[in-house]
Amino acid sequence: MVDLSGLAYDLTGLTVPLIAIFAFILPLISKIVKNKYFPGIYALIVTLFATLSTTIIFMYLGSTLEHKTYTFRNITFNATISKPIVYGFGGWPPPIGISYEVDGLNSLIGVYIGWIMLLIVLFSLWYNRNLDEPEWYYTLLLGFEAGVLGCLYTGDAFNLFVMIEVLAISSYALIAYHKNNPGSIEAAIKYGILGATATTIYFIGLMIIYGIYGTLNMGHILYKNLQVFGNVMIGEAPPGLVLATTLAVSLALWVFTLKSGLFPNHFWLPDAYSEAPTPISAALAGLSEVIGIYVVIRFLYTVFPAFSPIGYYYRGLILEILLILGFLGGVVGALMMFIQRDLKRLLAYSSISHIGLIFMTLSIGFLALPMKRLDSILVIAFTAVVTHIIAHGLGKTLLFMSSEIFIESSGTKIMDDMRGVGRKYPWVSLAFIAGFLNLMGAIPFIGFFSKLLMYQAFIESGLLLAAIGVIIVSALSVPGYAKAIYAIVFSTPTREYRLVKTSGFKVLIIIIALALLLLGVFYSYIYSMISEYISSSITMGGLFNYERAFHEAFSKLMG
Amino acid sequence: MIDLVDYFLTLIVTAMIVNLGLALYGIFFRPSMIKKIIALTILGDTANTFAIILGYRRWPSPKTPSRPPVLVNYTDATPDTLKEFVGRAVDPLPQALVLTAIVIGLAVTLFMVFLTLQIYRAYGTTDMRKIKKLKG
Repeated sequence: MVDLSGLAYDLTGLTVPLIAIFAFILPLISKIVKNKYFPGIYALIVTLFATLSTTIIFMYLGSTLEHKTYTFRNITFNATISKPIVYGFGGWPPPIGISYEVDGLNSLIGVYIGWIMLLIVLFSLWYNRNLDEPEWYYTLLLGFEAGVLGCLYTGDAFNLFVMIEVLAISSYALIAYHKNNPGSIEAAIKYGILGATATTIYFIGLMIIYGIYGTLNMGHILYKNLQVFGNVMIGEAPPGLVLATTLAVSLALWVFTLKSGLFPNHFWLPDAYSEAPTPISAALAGLSEVIGIYVVIRFLYTVFPAFSPIGYYYRGLILEILLILGFLGGVVGALMMFIQRDLKRLLAYSSISHIGLIFMTLSIGFLALPMKRLDSILVIAFTAVVTHIIAHGLGKTLLFMSSEIFIESSGTKIMDDMRGVGRKYPWVSLAFIAGFLNLMGAIPFIGFFSKLLMYQAFIESGLLLAAIGVIIVSALSVPGYAKAIYAIVFSTPTREYRLVKTSGFKVLIIIIALALLLLGVFYSYIYSMISEYISSSITMGGLFNYERAFHEAFSKLMG
Repeated sequence: MIDLVDYFLTLIVTAMIVNLGLALYGIFFRPSMIKKIIALTILGDTANTFAIILGYRRWPSPKTPSRPPVLVNYTDATPDTLKEFVGRAVDPLPQALVLTAIVIGLAVTLFMVFLTLQIYRAYGTTDMRKIKKLKG
């Protein structure tokens, strides 16, 4: 086994700046190389590098995991120890300079993002003939990737603001890519105005956090939270601390729930998904939403955990609200899906429904249970969250890929005008049905296991209503999926369709469908792997891992 | 006798809160896209002012007017004078953050203006009430 520690450490700092640099020199190079496919190949190489580096970071984190048993005041508990990577940019120690911090949760979502991004770039290469200026498209796509990975790996709340703006501006521009199509511009402007307002509000929240804590580093805020927690419990917190923190966290959460399209903030999402170029719809569904979910988890479970001033008072309330909003989002998405006529809008509403399910599950931490029991429930719930992110992201990418074939073949997005178009492409139709079955939660697919784990987490924690809620949302979304499958694959064709060349692309689609199936069949291995990573980052022991890594990096860089 | 520093700080904070409300009203309720963008820049500037005020320090006590942080003879600076210098200077971090936020705000505004231009070319108006092709 090679020693990955040095390599993983360097790649943590290198990946995001390198992608950004490569993104910005692409327009210059494409002034020299005029080939229409060059920007795509270039983006593919850069993305391969990112995929490799996220995978190496993931493998390194896996190699540091070890189990230890502690005895503390006659209570023995098992903790999974990991050694998070802390990279201080420019050699500055963490609270002073910008630092990236990668722990179990980060690296797990990172490897998912690396691979989905690779699929998106391959999809864009197939879509290339619809792009009139591919160099700008791929510049923005690489900028998007830099933003996503930056948001994911950063350990600094202000750097998160910068990266969310990088992500946001590239995604507005990508949605408006077909700039002569009025619909695209309208969708982008709606999303843009809301997103810009939300990020500014996040900036205000950040300033309140800076005013209270005097630091913006996530590990440092966590450290200070753990310190003052004892004072808060005996009612000796500094005046206004709890209220100010609650205000700051609530202000900060808006932009991330907006990005992930949680229920009351979902209205921009169908417009953006249906009007963006299809690879971008897949990227928004698979990556941008996941970033919103990840940051909410990071804020409510690592930076402001149960052992913080806000954790003692209002964190439970915030999580309960997220649970209710998640359920409402799931129901609204599922019901709206059924009345859509546009295929891409249907997929967008399905995303809203699935994001609702994920938010329902991630809000399970408000329970007042003994620590050991809460930790075991958290591990199940967050394994379910990560599995559902993977199932939904892969499934949505597959569905957007296959629907793009159908849309190009029939020349429309309206399902009534593309009846039976799937009959021309039997393999693609098979993959299309597999993708929908995965989203529905049919048994051999990975989507079934994520929903099962959600259900199990709610049952074990005694939230019977929420467990029934998961079933209701799943059941309500079945008619919408059935409608799409019926309209596109099973109904008789009413007119002639153009045959689109799909040689290599078809193979990619089938591979993804097989991957969904195989991930489900071998889920027991994946479950044990994911739950290891989760128990090293979300639980009580995970907090100490995160905080210890911050201190070690500080003392190492200070000498 | 009114304390002038207190008076002006209170004035700025009040103005900031009013600006915040006005900006949010402008973004969500004004139909014209241009006015929405103007409100967005007001919101951004309010946030920046808030950040700058957080970094403000009154030295040595809140009651005395602050003096500018200048080291007169830096050749024979002692730890005491340096400590005083640091205490008198404002917090530099919010200013660095605001600088970044201003640059990002410029990029967002520029992009929004471009989109508004495209909207105007496509629909012949910037009134968002008349642009309702998508259902939302």
